[in-house]
Order: sequence, then structure tokens, then C-alpha cells
Amino acid sequence: MDVSQELADYAAKHTTQVLERSQPVQVDMGLLAAFDNTPIDPSEYSSDLDAHLLQLTLTSTQALISALFALPTTPSAEHGPVIRPPVPSTILPREKPLPKPKEPTKWERFAQAKGISHKKRDKKEWDEERQEWVARWGRDGKNKQKEEEWATPVKAGMEADQDPAATARAERKARTAKNEKQHRSNLAQAAASSSASSRRTAQQARAADLERSMLVSKSATASMGKFDKSIEGEPKSRGVKRKFDENVPKAGWKGEKEGLLGVLKSVESGLGRKEKRKGETKEGEVVVRKAVRYHDREERLKAGRGGAGGGRGRGGARGRGRK
Amino acid sequence: MRPLTDEETKAVFEKLANFIGKNLVHLIDRDEDDAYCFRLHKDRVYYLPLSMLHLATSIARPNLVSVGTCFGKFSKSGKFKLGVTSLDWLAKYAKYKVWIKPAGELPFLYGNHVVKAHLGRITEDTPEHQGVVVYNMADVPLGFGVTARSTLDTRKLDPMGIIVFHQADVGEFLRDEDTMF
Repeated sequence: MDVSQELADYAAKHTTQVLERSQPVQVDMGLLAAFDNTPIDPSEYSSDLDAHLLQLTLTSTQALISALFALPTTPSAEHGPVIRPPVPSTILPREKPLPKPKEPTKWERFAQAKGISHKKRDKKEWDEERQEWVARWGRDGKNKQKEEEWATPVKAGMEADQDPAATARAERKARTAKNEKQHRSNLAQAAASSSASSRRTAQQARAADLERSMLVSKSATASMGKFDKSIEGEPKSRGVKRKFDENVPKAGWKGEKEGLLGVLKSVESGLGRKEKRKGETKEGEVVVRKAVRYHDREERLKAGRGGAGGGRGRGGARGRGRK
Repeated sequence: MRPLTDEETKAVFEKLANFIGKNLVHLIDRDEDDAYCFRLHKDRVYYLPLSMLHLATSIARPNLVSVGTCFGKFSKSGKFKLGVTSLDWLAKYAKYKVWIKPAGELPFLYGNHVVKAHLGRITEDTPEHQGVVVYNMADVPLGFGVTARSTLDTRKLDPMGIIVFHQADVGEFLRDEDTMF
């Protein structure tokens, strides 16, 4: 019995269709990614899109998995065979933009304008007396040498009770404070120039405020400032711009429809009243509303003529006045 | 092109309701796949399918001549005036109708009022000053107008008495061809 035909059929049925690619699928095992660089066949693409996409995916996946199994494995008791993926060969673009260059400090700007080249000072300084390198500042810094002297020669004109150590320390602290202040102003300058377009400075806000109050006071005359003398370079007042709904509503048609139906409801309620009024004027019928009104008026007139009070207008008022 | 404000919508609806009454709801509350909207463009009110609106958004304002069906236009003082282009929609949902005899078709299409002699049929119980759509005897809409008398009062009227005040007719397509769009 020959079952080779059945076997072939079964195999054909259960194997995945892999497409022939003119350029082989490139695999980057470091990223576990496969890249299919072959151009898309337009006829295949347009004839049966889903099946074609599935085949393309299968081809790439097949290439990825076969490359995965080709990697060398090391046996592990816990996890079974383990692979160590190679270094990724695909270079990905940087996620974030390049950092902006640091804003130059006031001194750096001055130095550049004057053509002074920057000399980086060493952190350490040679001490002749001790014959060793000592720190310029900080712990055991040389800048504290003066205040730590065991004896200080008194200069001419110095106060007798002056503490030379305290004076030196105060001078050093003042220098530090001054530097700190300069640093802060540099930081503020850098922040202002980097976000100048997005944020108004306090000065700009003040200017806008002044402009607004000037416009308000200008239009506060009887003629709304129409005949006032205008100053050169005077700001123009801009009115409030009209705002309409979006042409294509983002929330969808539903919201607009609800609005229209609401307006329709109010229109229809008005319509009902109007129709009722119209209905009253049918031929040969008594209009109750008008009849009642007419009757009331007749009654009132009769009462007024009788002089029993309750008449309208001046007659009634005079009557009260006589009492 | 922009949606109408509430006041504008009210003005348009009040005019339309004069002709189609409660059928107005059929212009707004439609199936999802057949939704229409009102849009204002250069003082004219257009009634257009949503799909057309999406296409029209890509056209710059000065280049857009017309979109959908023009229902009429707003005057400078904010009053809304129905145009003859809205006739198809009005005829579809009209509440009160007037049919005119073949002899009266031409005078009406030249912009004259409808007189009693030309009146073929009229919807019963039509009140006075009611918006009506005018048809010929073959049920082709010719225009619209406002009744001068209620149906009852027309009986007593002499043959040359006006029954429908002319507002718009399809003759305008030729007469006002230059200024219509």
C-alpha cells in the first residue's frame, strides 16, 4: 500500500505557506526583530489583502524563529536551554532631542567679548611652607589660612580690639555670598532666555496691564474716546472675537443634534400657542377669551359710571383725595 | 462655514415650521447613516449630509461657492428668508398644499400671486397667513407662498381675489440666475 500521496497531502495541508523573497529577510537577534526589505507585489496586495499579509507575517516570523533556534544554547537546570542574544545590530534613533547648550554666564559672556581665554584653575595649590599640595577651598582649604594663623601682625591704623581671624572669616563669607548671588542671577538669566517665547516675564505682564488700563481709561469719556487726541504709537484696542461652535464637532453629531432638538422644542411650544390663537377665530363661534374680556370691561365701565368707586384712573384718585 | 447659533437656528426653524409644522423633526432626527446638518456660509443656510460636510471642510472659505441644499439666507438685520432652492425639502414635508390649474401655472411662475380663478384644490382647514407649497395639477411643486385667506373665506371671494401671496417659485431659477448663487 502506497500512502506517500496521503502523506504529501497531509504535509501540504499542515505546513505554513512561506513566500519566496527576492531579498532574504534580515534578522536582528539582539532586538528579536525581522525586517522584510522586499518590495510589495501590487497585484498580490490588491487581490487578497488579508491572505497576503498573513503570508508576509508568516515568512518573517519563520525567519525569526529559525534564527532563534540557530543560536548557541547553554543548558540550565532550572530553565532548560538558555540563549544569550547577541548585541543589537540595528541602530535606533535617539528617543529624546539633544540637550540644549548651556546658557553662558555673565562672566563667560564678558570673557568672550573681551577675548579672555578661560584658564581652568587647579583645585589644589602648592603650599611653600608645608611643602605639599593643599586644597584651594573646602576642608583645610588655603582660603582659611588667614583665620587660622596663631599670630597676625598688626597693621598701622588697625583698631586695638579688632579680631583679625573674625575679620578674615567675614571677608571670606562675603565673597562666598557674592558668588552665590551672581550664580543665582546667572541661573535666572538662563531660564528667562530659554523660555522667553513661551512665558511672559514680569516686565511684559506689567506692560500689558498698563496698556489695558490705558485703553479702558481712554474709552471712559462721554464719546467713548472718539474725539480724544491720539498719542503716537498708541496701542489699538482689540475687541472680543466672536466664538462659534466647531464646524465638525469633535464630540460627534449627537451633541449638535440634541441642541437642534432643544431649539425645535422651544419653537414648537411657541407654534402651539399661535395655532391655538388662530383656531379661536373660526367663523360663527364665540371666542371665549375675547368674550370674557369684553364682559369684564363692560362691567367695569358700568361700575365707574355709577360712582360707586372702583373706577379707573383720575376719577378714583380724586375721590380718595376728598375724604 | 460654521454651525448656526441658537438664535439663528430659531429663526430658520420658525420659518420652516410655518410650512412643514411638526414635520420639521424629520429634518433633524434622522438615521445615523443618513444624518443631515445645517451650516451657515456667507450668510446662507445650507442643509447638507454629514458626509458632504466632512468633504467640504477641506475647501477654503473663499473657494466654497455652495454646499448641499441652500435653504435661504439671513438678511443684514438678522431675519431669515427662505429661498426657492429649499422647495424640494418643503414639498416633501409640506403640511398645507395648494394645487393650481394649468391656466394659472404660467402667471405663478412669472412671480404673480395665485388668484381664486386659478385655484384647483387646497388643503382643508388651511388657516389664514399659513405657509403653503404650490403644486400644479400633476403634483409637481412650483413654489411656495402664504395664504391670504383661510379655506373657509375663499368661498366668498371673487374670482380675481388673491388666495396665496407669492414668495418663491421655480421661475426664479431663470429670472434670478445671476444673483441666486
